Amino acid sequence: MSEPLKKSIIEKACESLGILKTIEPAAGDLPLSKDGFSNYPPSDQWHDWTEYDAGSWPKRVKKNYSIVPTTCFNCEAACGLLAYVDKETEQVRKFEGNPHHPASRGRNCAKGPATINQINDAERIHYPMKRKGERGSGQWERVSWDEAVSDIAGKMHSSLKAKRHNSVVYHVGRPGHEGYAERVIQSWGVDGHNSHTNICSAGARTGYALWHFYDRPSPDHANAKTILLISSHLETGHYFNPHAQRIIEGMMSGAKLIVMDPRLSNTASMADVWLPTYPGSEAAVLLAMAKIILDEGLYDRRFMETWVNWHDYLVAVHPSDEVSFDNFIKRIKVEYAEFTPQFAETESGVEAQKIVEAAKHVAEAGSQLSTHNWRAAGSGNLGGWQVARCLHFLNVLTGSIGTEGGTSPSGWNKFKPTFFDVPPAQKFWNELQYPIEYPLAHHELSFLLPHFLKDGRGELDVYFTRVFNPVWTYPDGFSWIEVLRDESKIKCHVALTPTWNETAFWADYVLPMGHASERHDLNSYETHSSVWIAFRQPVLREFARRDGREVEFTHEVNPGEVWEEDEFWIELSWKMDSDESLGIREHFISPYRAGEKITIDEYYRFIFEHVPGLPEAASAEGLSPLDYMRKVGAFEVETSAYGKHLKEILTEGTELNQYSQYIKEGKVVAVRDNGRKVTGFPTPSRKQEFYSKTMDDWQWGDQTLPGYIKSHIHPDSLDRSKNEYVLVPTFRLPTLIHSRSGNAKWLAEISHRNPVWIHPKTASHIGLTQSGDHIKVETDIGYFIDKVWITEAIKPDVVACSHHIGRWRRQHDPVGNSWMTSTVQIEEKGEGRWKMGLMDGVEPFDSGDSDSKRIWWRDGGVHQNITFPVHPDPVSGMHCWHQKVRLSIPSKNERYGDIEVDTKKAHSVYREWLEMTRPGPGPDGLRRPLWMARTLRPTDEAYYFGNEE
Amino acid sequence: MNLGFLIDNRKCIGCHACTVACKSEHEVPIGVNRTWVKYVETGEFPATERLFSVLRCNHCEAAPCVDICPTSALHYRENGIVDFNTERCIACKSCMQACPYDALYIDPDDHVAEKCNFCAHRIEIGLEPSCVVVCPEEAIVFGDLDSDESEISQLVKNQKTTVRKPEKGTKPKLYYIDGKRASLDPSITKPADQYLWSEQAKGVGHFSHFAEEKSSENDAGDLLIQLAMEAGSKTEKRDFGRKIAETLRSGDPRTVYDSPSKGVLWGWEVSAYVWTKAISAGLFLMTFLSRQLGWAEISSATNTVSLWSSMGFLLVTVALLVKDLDQPKRFLYVILRPHWRSWLVKGAYGLVTYGGVLTLLLINAYLNLSDLWWVEWIGSALALFSAVYTAFLFAQAKGRDFWQSHLAPYQMAVHAMLAGGAGVIILTGSISTELVFTLSGLLLLNLGMFAFELTSSRLTDDAQKAAEMILSGRYSVPFWTSVFLTRVVPLVIFFTGLTILPDQILAVAMLIGILVTEHIWIRAPQLIPLS
Repeated sequence: MSEPLKKSIIEKACESLGILKTIEPAAGDLPLSKDGFSNYPPSDQWHDWTEYDAGSWPKRVKKNYSIVPTTCFNCEAACGLLAYVDKETEQVRKFEGNPHHPASRGRNCAKGPATINQINDAERIHYPMKRKGERGSGQWERVSWDEAVSDIAGKMHSSLKAKRHNSVVYHVGRPGHEGYAERVIQSWGVDGHNSHTNICSAGARTGYALWHFYDRPSPDHANAKTILLISSHLETGHYFNPHAQRIIEGMMSGAKLIVMDPRLSNTASMADVWLPTYPGSEAAVLLAMAKIILDEGLYDRRFMETWVNWHDYLVAVHPSDEVSFDNFIKRIKVEYAEFTPQFAETESGVEAQKIVEAAKHVAEAGSQLSTHNWRAAGSGNLGGWQVARCLHFLNVLTGSIGTEGGTSPSGWNKFKPTFFDVPPAQKFWNELQYPIEYPLAHHELSFLLPHFLKDGRGELDVYFTRVFNPVWTYPDGFSWIEVLRDESKIKCHVALTPTWNETAFWADYVLPMGHASERHDLNSYETHSSVWIAFRQPVLREFARRDGREVEFTHEVNPGEVWEEDEFWIELSWKMDSDESLGIREHFISPYRAGEKITIDEYYRFIFEHVPGLPEAASAEGLSPLDYMRKVGAFEVETSAYGKHLKEILTEGTELNQYSQYIKEGKVVAVRDNGRKVTGFPTPSRKQEFYSKTMDDWQWGDQTLPGYIKSHIHPDSLDRSKNEYVLVPTFRLPTLIHSRSGNAKWLAEISHRNPVWIHPKTASHIGLTQSGDHIKVETDIGYFIDKVWITEAIKPDVVACSHHIGRWRRQHDPVGNSWMTSTVQIEEKGEGRWKMGLMDGVEPFDSGDSDSKRIWWRDGGVHQNITFPVHPDPVSGMHCWHQKVRLSIPSKNERYGDIEVDTKKAHSVYREWLEMTRPGPGPDGLRRPLWMARTLRPTDEAYYFGNEE
Repeated sequence: MNLGFLIDNRKCIGCHACTVACKSEHEVPIGVNRTWVKYVETGEFPATERLFSVLRCNHCEAAPCVDICPTSALHYRENGIVDFNTERCIACKSCMQACPYDALYIDPDDHVAEKCNFCAHRIEIGLEPSCVVVCPEEAIVFGDLDSDESEISQLVKNQKTTVRKPEKGTKPKLYYIDGKRASLDPSITKPADQYLWSEQAKGVGHFSHFAEEKSSENDAGDLLIQLAMEAGSKTEKRDFGRKIAETLRSGDPRTVYDSPSKGVLWGWEVSAYVWTKAISAGLFLMTFLSRQLGWAEISSATNTVSLWSSMGFLLVTVALLVKDLDQPKRFLYVILRPHWRSWLVKGAYGLVTYGGVLTLLLINAYLNLSDLWWVEWIGSALALFSAVYTAFLFAQAKGRDFWQSHLAPYQMAVHAMLAGGAGVIILTGSISTELVFTLSGLLLLNLGMFAFELTSSRLTDDAQKAAEMILSGRYSVPFWTSVFLTRVVPLVIFFTGLTILPDQILAVAMLIGILVTEHIWIRAPQLIPLS
């Protein structure tokens, strides 16, 4: 053992003679560690926690904190955070994880602790801003909240009075809450919810929904034997940190990890079997696995016989067959006969033998197969919705639905809050969100909005964009700019955002909303077999409360006048209906004080008082449910949640048919399982729908079964002689989150550029010699010039470019996110032709933070999405992200970062894809199957075409 | 208690949470890191693999940074942590040369050396280190290596573990389960200036002021990084891009993500100080020997000029030493807060004593108090010590394999004597046969030692890389030029007695030659990445 520091005689002498000042770290008086170590301070000391200041060490400088739980607001997972509020400065010093959070269990990804960067971002928007001059001219003036709320409320009042309900729309990027905004919108009576879902997860959602209504999977990775991912959940995605924890937990207990991805993601690099499938071929590979399981009789007969609507299939497709399970198996073996491993190899480029190996792992897993497809292939390809459907097929075959170690429907693991007031469903159907061409979409066709507006399908009086940046994140950003700046199409654009972004540049109001620790939200997500809630709270407000100070609105304690949506919506709705003529105010009356406007505390108090088990847990600690959540930050409502389809129900007056279905009033209401009458799944058959009658009813008779649709970027549609390749533009990094993390310096320094990944063979075919060479990537509507990253980590013939990077501002736009933002020049050349050129990369800048002066990178990447046309899948409505691109070496006058786009071409590509739809109305004149989920569900009457108000 | 870390690579997903949590806990400026994750890829598609390695201070049981630190700013704690005290640090950057793991950096706000200190402030009150707490996979295990029951001891006992560079004898206490050589041994992979999602354009840490000054042109920081980056690729031909593509095809391990290069920390000041010190010491020594052995006619006036010159070069030496510190005001700490194991301290005391002797002799030169012959003998010993101690300091820089040569002290002595000989020639304006023989012998020794140091079969990989850089890589031109013009040419002239050049020109050439080769010797090894 080595000797600790001993001062020499000389030093001691110098110090005692006063020649040198004494450097003598005094012993501290905090209790020393005795019995081991803990990861967090005990929660009973959270309001009075003292630890040594890291920066002053070895001097024992004590810091006294009030530790306030909240949740992260970077990705959707809402992992637990603890804010360390320094009692001296009354500011947050740092964020750690919340050990009481059932999903994140005190651990976080890089984005959690980086929240402090976002809070302290010197360039964030501190005050409500109103535009001066032309929209997009970059001139802004500060206004008061009161002024902004009054003006916007007045406009909305007029619209609603004039029955222009479909011209009031709220468009959300990151929701981060449970039903709050939906309740507010319904209180306005409008069908005004628009989301980002169709550029995100609509493909997978449709695939899952067709099977069993629920549109997302909830895999139980920790207890699985085989984990099959068409995703990269060891680095990104919903719900990265909670899932990554449990995937590795499963693997440490012996689970095998199979990953499909044309790129070696970090996740793929951890896999036992990496299947670098050609993009779009995933369904073929999955069906090949299904075929092996069927052919070798490895399926779970017991599960399938009871829980699959095989009888519907036989009755509809093979009416002459006797309706027996064996006949079903016989028939589907024929259905999938072509999906041999060799066929899958041809389509995917992955060796047949590897596919067989993967299939073995899948079959061996039995009921312990956990799977996930969220975006990835489901979001990249025409027909991507079939990928999730085929993936889920493997769960059905192995009987791993809702089992321990299997995959449950999302809804089983997600909490639904009880609200103090539920407004009636709206009587409107807004065609801008749910157009008749896409009756089965999951959900709003949000990325077609510019084209719908251009086509004159509607106009918007008041358009809220909330944590939503379509100009940058969406495809076809220049078309967005065209409509956003057109005041006849969008009369008032209100951007609710913590930081400046490319969309907010074209707003009328930019209203600053809080980051993770500056706002209220209720969170609950299907991270694992459990049901939990977590409380995102404005920590300085909670600190003030603990300190005995009254706070009326959160903006009083946040930096500047940064507010939160929750309170903003209450105030806006209240003001909108100041004459009480719209019937809105009645939905904002306190449940505790008759006739008074509800406060945000009352809103959450009511919810928490109605969470099963929470009042009891709280009173055990002598707290009210609200105070419990303020103190602990999270609560587990159910600790495990398997087999919910097996819940016994007592409905009387049912008849049992020969397929174990209980029928009441012509509808299946329950299923017989093991002699019990159980609830089943919320589908028309109450079973897993292998055969979808809905698809047949809605003109998709060719897609009633899990199947393989050749993608729009299938090799057949690429011309290699013209250097056409597929671009995978969707991959995400472990450290960033869309355009939300641009103000986190610690994340920006880890990743700040997005070169095009290209295999050496492809690179040399194009004529590229080294990483860093420039490449021209031409899409159907334009091009961008990027650098290349020559790598063995990508499939030859596929190129990929990461998302998140390539942020920009024009010289006259307000500054923000400078750690990751380049300065560009945008030139309009007329006739829909746009050009963007790079003026400066990321530059050091002056701020209160000395780090901003020493930014050591310059490359801020290139904005690729703006060069993509829209590709709406005719069934799911998903934007099919993958792009057919032409690769070449840029000419001499084409520079790094150059972008050109023709929005007229973009509009004609939109029309081409629109042509592929099979529009409603469907049976009985329906706009959408009644049984399918819909955001902000209107009245049933509104579902009938021409029947809405 | 003997604390150590273990990284379980079966679980690590390379997410960088530890990096950021550490930044948050310690408010580490951008550009530098106390812990970071390096990505290395191996193999060819589809057998490509990406390896993650969490890199940081190894809290060595025999920590070279502690040994070399002149002021005990770096020191052990009783619980086995290698901690530091920024108040003691003079920012000489020797720890950054000593650490074989690249764990230290210069904090651009505080201008002192910092690194992972195991969250000593948390450990003391029973809290786990921040990186351990944040890790989604519980892949960072820490605990008492002396306790059989601790999780870390159990894992070290029952699992196959590796450490980084065990051959350095540092006894690292950072273990890896599934630690692959490609990812832990930086000599296997080629460094790069761009990675899969990052690109370095400016200096960091000690060099971050270049970014702050926004000096986009003539950015010395850039240059330094560029040099460090290109170090591994030997720079023979300019089309090494094609080479990279070939390398990739061959599936060799390659670094695809790393934290930014901290650059070459010992710059021209250090090369210059070694040189001025050699002149100061060598001149004294050679003047003394010349007088004793009659190699040259040294008048007492010349002797005084020689003493003054030695004094002058010594003062410049000290000035350079102080200038090289990022905390120049704390220079005296080397003397007043000494850590006796550090050769920086030993050397400083040597220089001070040597300076004292020079002062004494200078006073005597004017006052003629007495014949201080014995002081001259002591002075000669101190001059020799001053000339060679840096070799021992460099040997303490365990991170730099090339500096571990056993010949280094002899070479420094030879350089000092050559420099002194050159000085004598300049001072006396002539060169005697005896001096010709002496200098010829020294030059031959000098060349012989070059040959041995550059071609010894005992060189480690890193040392060999440095040697290649000198023999055939980026330093070959200055090296061979200097060997030819300042060693071979003088030798030829000495042997042949040609009088094509004035002796003084020859002497100046020899002095410049020493500067050039010392500079190369100091610089080349610093271009080899440590992590």
